[in-house]
Amino acid sequence: MTVLVTGGAKCGKSHFAEMLFSGFEGRKLYIATMQPYGEEAFAAIERHRKLRSGKGFETVEKYTDIDEINLPESCGILLECTANLCANEMFKDGEPVDPTDKILCGFRHLKSRAKLLVIVTNEVGNDGVVYEKGTAKYIEAMGEINRRAAKLADRVVECVYGIPVPLKGELP
Amino acid sequence: MIMITGGAFQGKKEYAKKRFGFSNEDILNGGSCDLDAVFNAKCVTDYQLTVKRLLEENADPNEFTRRLCRENSDAVIIINEIGGGIIPIEKSERIWREETGRAGCIIAENSREVIRLVCGIPVKIKG
Repeated sequence: MTVLVTGGAKCGKSHFAEMLFSGFEGRKLYIATMQPYGEEAFAAIERHRKLRSGKGFETVEKYTDIDEINLPESCGILLECTANLCANEMFKDGEPVDPTDKILCGFRHLKSRAKLLVIVTNEVGNDGVVYEKGTAKYIEAMGEINRRAAKLADRVVECVYGIPVPLKGELP
Repeated sequence: MIMITGGAFQGKKEYAKKRFGFSNEDILNGGSCDLDAVFNAKCVTDYQLTVKRLLEENADPNEFTRRLCRENSDAVIIINEIGGGIIPIEKSERIWREETGRAGCIIAENSREVIRLVCGIPVKIKG
């Protein structure tokens, strides 16, 4: 099963996503896409590590090219999060490139190996602010990735202040 | 406790007035009220702005929100959803956005009912 978990900042997405693996038997991989640059990223990574500790996840740090990860068969995969992955793919060489096809290809690769795949993504287009070109392109790319990922997923859940709201299928 | 959320101008206050019979005086503005008044109010609106003021005063929004849930457990709390955009460049804005997320999670956890307003339509997401 593939589950897409979306929502805004600090809305309990990670907690919900991790909970989905509580009864999972087999190897569990956590694909971390956030690059540890800067104090805040470091703090966020530490906080997420603490949340995950003792839950049996093997951490795979992969900031781009998730389609290249070697994966055991029938594993559990938690990918967190799409917003970082998108930014990393898009801006890695200076000029922004369209990352959507590549990221979707990555998602399909994960899906082909996983018994349970949970993709954590973000809502980034709801603040109504008009941004400069690079950021506007990023918002557009995230919108497209989220729409395509929702099609690929069996279930889609939005977290609202910690409450999981089903958007596609029942709550997993 | 009952929580009402949603984006800006989705009809949250109108819903609170209609459902609970609140007058304008019953609804405390979390962006400008006396902070202690929150603990006795029937209804607080714009709680995200209360979080902002607490941060400006170097107070802990997490602790304040937990106290609110303990001491005013019959209140109706209205809080906007503000976390669905681009991460702000300004550090204080980033912290506000995240602390509002955490405060909202605490309120939601302590609420017997959570309503989300979308285009004026109430959607019950808890209770």
